[in-house]
Amino acid sequence: MAEPYTITNPPLVCWSCHDRTLGTHFCSSCGKLVQLRGGIDYFTLFEMPRKLWVELPALEKKFLQLSWKLHPDNFVSASEQERELSLQHSSELNDAYRTLRDPVARLEYLLGIEGMRKEGEHKQQAPPELLEEVFELNESLEELREAKASGGDLAGLQTRLQAAEKSFQAQLGEVDARLQSAAREWDAAFDAKADEGARKKLLSRMNELLNRRSYIRNLVTNVQKELQ
Amino acid sequence: MAYSEKVVDHFNNPRNVGSLPKEDPNVGTGLVGAPECGDVMKLQMKINPETQVIEEARFKTFGCGSAIASSSLATEWVKGKTVEEALSIKNTDIVKELALPPVKIHCSVLAEDAIKSAINDWKKKKGLEVPAAEKSAH
Repeated sequence: MAEPYTITNPPLVCWSCHDRTLGTHFCSSCGKLVQLRGGIDYFTLFEMPRKLWVELPALEKKFLQLSWKLHPDNFVSASEQERELSLQHSSELNDAYRTLRDPVARLEYLLGIEGMRKEGEHKQQAPPELLEEVFELNESLEELREAKASGGDLAGLQTRLQAAEKSFQAQLGEVDARLQSAAREWDAAFDAKADEGARKKLLSRMNELLNRRSYIRNLVTNVQKELQ
Repeated sequence: MAYSEKVVDHFNNPRNVGSLPKEDPNVGTGLVGAPECGDVMKLQMKINPETQVIEEARFKTFGCGSAIASSSLATEWVKGKTVEEALSIKNTDIVKELALPPVKIHCSVLAEDAIKSAINDWKKKKGLEVPAAEKSAH
C-alpha cells in the first residue's frame, strides 16, 4: 500500500494524448476524461483525504460540480470511448457520494479499504457480553409471536419488549458516542501522520464498535417490527 | 438462493432442540453470535466426566435456515463422541454435509465456535485447562 497520508494518484498514461497524468477524472495534459484507475477508492474520487469528519455541504458541492463535469449529457457527440468513460466516472461518483455522505456507511467503507472487514483475516465477532441479553430478547420475541398467533397475553410481553428496546436504544446511543470519539481520534492521527501501529489500533477499535453497532441495530429493528 | 435438501430437512425437523440445566456441573454451554446477521446460537452438551463422552446435546438458534441446520447437525454429530473427537469437527465438514453456499459459510463457523465454546465452558467447570486462543476468542 502507498504512503497512507498522500492522496496523489498513481500516474496513468492518458489513452488520448499518451502523456502521463495524475488527474483523477481528467487528463492534466489534454483535458480528456481519463480511464478510471483500478481499485480507486471513494475518498480519492472526491479528492479528499481518508478522514472521517466530512463537511456535508462541501461534499455536496463537490459532488454537484463533478457530476456536472462528468455527466454523460456533456459527451453525447464525443467518441464512444469518452461516452463510456463518462458513464463509468458518473456511476462511480454516485456510489461514492451515497457512501460518503452517510457517516456509518463512510466508516464501514473506510474499514473495508483499510483491510479490516475481510472474512477470515479479521473475524467479525459479536460482542460476547451482549449475547445473553440477545438470546433472552430473542426468546421474548418468539413468545410474542406465539402469543400473537394463539391470542395469548400480549400486554405483559409487549411491556417487556418495550423495556428491552429502550435499553438497546440507549446502548446504541452509547456506541455511537464512542464511535464519534474514535473517529475524531482517527482524524487527529491522520493529521499527525501517526505510525502504522497507532493506525491499526484505531481501525480495530472502530471495527469492533461498528460490529457492536450493527448487532444492536439489527436487534432494535427486529423488536420494532414485532411491536408494530 | 435455494437451500439444499439437507438444510431444509434440518430446518423442518431440527434435532435436539431445547436446553439442558446450565448449572449442572457436567453441562457445558456455548453461546455465540454473528454480528453481520444478528444470529445467536446456544449449544449445550452433557458430558460424562469419567469417559469424556458427550451423552446429550441440545441447541437453540435464532437465525436463518442455515444457522439452524448447522447447529442441528452439530448436536447430532457431537452426540456419542468424546470431547477430543468433537473438537476435531471443522466448519468445512458442516459446509460439505449441508452443501452450504459461500454466503452461508459463517453459519458453519458459528456452529464450530459453539461446539468449542460449550466444551471450554465444561472444561472450566471441571478445572481443566482451556486453550488460550479459545479463551480470548469467546
